[in-house]
Amino acid sequence: MTTQNAAAPETAAPDMGGLTRRQIKRMKRFDNPWRNPKLIWGAALLLGIVALGLIGRMFWDTDMVFTGSGLPRQAPVGFENIRGQIGTWAHPLGTDVTGKDILALLIVGAPNSLYVGVLASLIGMSIGIFLGFSAGFIGGRTDDVIRVGSDVMITIPPLLILVVFQAAYGDISLTIMAILIACFVWQSPTRLIRAQVLSMRESGYVHMARLSGASTGHIMFREMLPNLVPYLFGSFIANVTTSIVTAVGLEVLGLGPQRVPTLGRVIYDAINSGALIQNLWWWWGIPTVLLAVMFIGLLMVNLGLDEVSNPRLRRL
Amino acid sequence: MTILDFKDVSIDFPTSKGVVHAVTNVSLSVDKGRRVGFIGESGSGKTTTALSAMRMLASPGFVSSGEIHLNSLPQSNLLSLSSEEMRNVRLSHISYIPQGAMNSLNPVMRIERQIWDGIVAHEGSVSQSELQRRSDAALESVGLDPKIVASLYPHELSGGMKQRVCIAIGVCLNPDLVIADEPTSALDVITQRHVMQTLRDVQAEIGAGLILIGHDMGLMAQSVDEIAVLKKGELVEFGPVRQIIEAPKHPYTKELISSVPLVGGESFLDPSTASGTKPTEASDPTPLLELRGVSKSYGSLTALHTMNFSLDGTVPKIISIVGQSGSGKSTMGSLMLGFNPPSTGQVLFKGQDINRQSASQALAFRKEVQAVFQDPYACFNPFYRVNHALKFPFERFGLSQGSDHTRQAMEEACKAVGLAPETVLDRYPHQLSGGQRQRLIVARALMLNPKLLIADEPVSMVDASLRATILKNIHDLKDQHGISIIYITHDLATAYHVSDYVMVLYHGQVVEAGPPMEVIGDPKHAYTQLLISSIPWPDLDRDWGSSEDARTALNELAQIEGRHDAIFRGEIPGFSLTQS
Amino acid sequence: MGRIPASYLINRVTTLVLTVLIAATLIWIIPRLSGLDPASAALGRMAAGGGSVANADQILTQLRESFGLDQPLIVQYLLYIWNTVTLDFGLSTASFPTPVASMIANALPWTIGLMLVSLIITFIIGNLLGALMVWENTPRIWKVAIPSAMVFTSIPPILSGLLLMYVFSTQLRWFPLSGPYGLNVEPGWTLDFATSVLYHGFLPALSIVVVTFGFWALGMRGLMITVQGEDYTTLAKAKGLRPRYILYRYMIRNAILPQITAFALKIGMLVAGQVLVERIFAYPGMGKLLYDAILTQDYPVIQGVSFVIILMTAVAVFLVDLIYPFIDPRIRHGG
Repeated sequence: MTTQNAAAPETAAPDMGGLTRRQIKRMKRFDNPWRNPKLIWGAALLLGIVALGLIGRMFWDTDMVFTGSGLPRQAPVGFENIRGQIGTWAHPLGTDVTGKDILALLIVGAPNSLYVGVLASLIGMSIGIFLGFSAGFIGGRTDDVIRVGSDVMITIPPLLILVVFQAAYGDISLTIMAILIACFVWQSPTRLIRAQVLSMRESGYVHMARLSGASTGHIMFREMLPNLVPYLFGSFIANVTTSIVTAVGLEVLGLGPQRVPTLGRVIYDAINSGALIQNLWWWWGIPTVLLAVMFIGLLMVNLGLDEVSNPRLRRL
Repeated sequence: MTILDFKDVSIDFPTSKGVVHAVTNVSLSVDKGRRVGFIGESGSGKTTTALSAMRMLASPGFVSSGEIHLNSLPQSNLLSLSSEEMRNVRLSHISYIPQGAMNSLNPVMRIERQIWDGIVAHEGSVSQSELQRRSDAALESVGLDPKIVASLYPHELSGGMKQRVCIAIGVCLNPDLVIADEPTSALDVITQRHVMQTLRDVQAEIGAGLILIGHDMGLMAQSVDEIAVLKKGELVEFGPVRQIIEAPKHPYTKELISSVPLVGGESFLDPSTASGTKPTEASDPTPLLELRGVSKSYGSLTALHTMNFSLDGTVPKIISIVGQSGSGKSTMGSLMLGFNPPSTGQVLFKGQDINRQSASQALAFRKEVQAVFQDPYACFNPFYRVNHALKFPFERFGLSQGSDHTRQAMEEACKAVGLAPETVLDRYPHQLSGGQRQRLIVARALMLNPKLLIADEPVSMVDASLRATILKNIHDLKDQHGISIIYITHDLATAYHVSDYVMVLYHGQVVEAGPPMEVIGDPKHAYTQLLISSIPWPDLDRDWGSSEDARTALNELAQIEGRHDAIFRGEIPGFSLTQS
Repeated sequence: MGRIPASYLINRVTTLVLTVLIAATLIWIIPRLSGLDPASAALGRMAAGGGSVANADQILTQLRESFGLDQPLIVQYLLYIWNTVTLDFGLSTASFPTPVASMIANALPWTIGLMLVSLIITFIIGNLLGALMVWENTPRIWKVAIPSAMVFTSIPPILSGLLLMYVFSTQLRWFPLSGPYGLNVEPGWTLDFATSVLYHGFLPALSIVVVTFGFWALGMRGLMITVQGEDYTTLAKAKGLRPRYILYRYMIRNAILPQITAFALKIGMLVAGQVLVERIFAYPGMGKLLYDAILTQDYPVIQGVSFVIILMTAVAVFLVDLIYPFIDPRIRHGG
């Protein structure tokens, strides 16, 4: 079946008649895989959240994340709270039970959550690339140890080990949390890269590079790595998602950084203060929706990258 | 009476660059009980045409005009059937034997169940004992023992057995037409003969028409009654096999026939160049390449038995290593390239153990030993333009005197292998055909001017019409550039023409070795004889023998196993080979 | 049927033992790295959190004993490993002197019940939908509807839990806000109790299902596309088999194999997500136990719960690995 598909374009000169412009436009997507609507939409959502953090700081007073910045339990603009008070532009997204401004919490908290995810994933990827290449290239004992190690570690839920850690150490900073999470997100990239390196090592072009007297470094970074890029991106994004899920999970359990506003922490406070029963929906609802947007953005980027690295996923 | 008629069939594939007309206005008929061969190169539309009769074109292809009639149906126009009606036609009226014997069976289902589900899908509920009886009969008809095979899973069968199971499935409902899509392309010559003869016997027994898709004129000559030659989606010639083989009308058909290399036939190499052999500069007593007591095993499996081999590079030579899959020929290639250390012994290049070299020695070794591999599609990194594969080693080995010089060297090398530099060098690999890529790899070897070239099945994945050209390019490396060549192949005919010395390997052991005139022209060892007699000749008067012969041959093969009786048929200067 | 290659079995048992051992070691080592006397540190935090501690001395002695602090480090470690693998986690400090093991034993059935139901439903629905995304005979409406549902895919269950709870419990009041069963029913093997449990378990299970089925669906989609291009699928079609039969016996049957391996690898993540859902719905499982223990700084309970969840995960992975050879003949015959 594949031979036909590959061979068909060689047979005769294509003729552009008989196709609607719309069909041609849709097929053009095959020519440049990076011009993928999912990828673009996903990236736009994520950039939107980053922009909220950056631009928000310029136009909004982020000191309002502290207790008593405004009247407690204020509803967002256009809504009213149980006591019938209408939301004001002083706190466009309302305030929590201690008077913290929700908008300010979002402006500070959303980038924090992304920061933890990206940092943890970057560290995890670096470990994964290092171990994956080592296992694939050195082979033998090294490979066995790395393979069994990642098999074992992949089944241990990071959240639980982190809970144990936090319970013993108390407060931690965002960066420490990211590093801790990174200890649990290197396994999938390691396995992925190991498998790819093992198959690429026997590929014709790596053999050709060896015949060309290429050094191991050249083979790894100049011949193999460029072909891994879509996989690495995909794995990176998946890891950002995992890291944020873990970080939010910790925060919602009341662990994680105690003094830095994060979206998970806001939700923790809301649940703890009975926001669900008191119908203070903006308090937990808006951060939840923002996190959901973040995850949807990450998912779309990941789906888009899948289609880049596996053309068979692309459909007409 | 014709069973299948293609009437003016055209098939289109819409792509981003416009509509590709994969098949244009093909009309032909298949008679009941007759065998018709569809021959052509990749992209000729032969498979597409045949699959259109199954209504199983790969998406987004479709039949844009014409009619296909299966005359055993009350309503014969296949294209007007509903999809449920078409489903009922498949297998019971037209069956299909696929190309990839290795992956055509469901890996998680026992063999007999894969026959049963086909029967049940067409006949509704059938009693268990009846199913059992019919699957046993189907397996017996293709020479498999149902007691052993029926309850196995596909991965427990060999390639030849899997392909015979596919034939059993294809004929179990006595269809009117069988379409076999290169059924033996993944098999070696000995198994190929057995499978083809099984197919022929079964087809004759049920009296069905047969469409055999292939690219090998020899195989066609031995297997079919009529041949349809396709080129770029058009039917260029259609007629009885004898007329096509002996008096082809269309130049393309002539080209296809002449591209099959024959043992003992006229050489496809231009004899005028053969005299230009020039000895390399200094005569050094150390052999160029030496295998000293080398063997290789993977766990308990011995891929290559202990062997001594010495090649003197003073006068360039082509040494052919011939064997079927699993013979250890590719293992020898990778040992010589230092990709794989031997289990015992040493591989020496100019007296230096290639697995114990300093970095600078290793670089010098790489510069002098180059290779051409089987798969031209895999040899280029898809991330770079193709010139990366030529430029990088040239600069790495310090041959370049600046980028203009590199460019010039690349262009010269391209011209030397018959490629126009401007049309290939700045392309990405996927934009070039297999033949172009393989010639670029030869050009690369030429540019680097090594002392030794290992050519591992360099033409087995290239279309037949280009094989001769590429082999000639490789042969020129010896004659005009003084490069010694180790030619690794499964194809005795090409080995016969290009080489100075041939060694035939079987299960990691040399069974016969010597100059090609003796070893291939007049084989003495039973295995070599078997190989030669299994080659399908594009010559109707040189019959392949019956399926009985093929079975005897396989039994003979079983007896050869484990015997150590290499026959050495003479020496040539500058090369020696022994095996203990 | 029962021929599992010995090397395969040894491999899996080693992984199981290593996982449990590494998890136990991490749990032991982490508090020790903080350089504090874990017993008094724990007690100090307890005192800081809860004001006066009634039986402080008693608790301190018990903690010291359970940590084996008067022994050399290696003995402490071995003692701890022994206690852990025999599921003896000491006594809870918050509700002293309840043994941690019995607290876990009470919570475990709820967690396992919720987990089995939600994981199995998710796995089945997810894979089926993923397969339908690729199958050529899927009705058009499904081909549009399923990809749209993928939007929820990577949201953690805790967020979906919050949203579902808000809509269905606090606003619509269709489902109870929290708890495992109604206050007015007696636990026991009665129909009332069973209905109540199902009624209360519905939202927590749903909040896991709606956001995790997409993970399986997407994975299945990729695998199905591969299987669709396989020669055996082409041959199945050429054999004139019914499309539905090809879907189940040829395509899904083969595509599901890597999914089952992935199931084993993902169990850890899914269980962690469930822990959080339990906490939101105040479901009396391991998640709630863990959350309460964090609030009260009940270190032995935290240790115990974490270890048991990791143990459950590892055992689940092991069981999946044991079943695997029976659904893939290539493993069974050592191929």
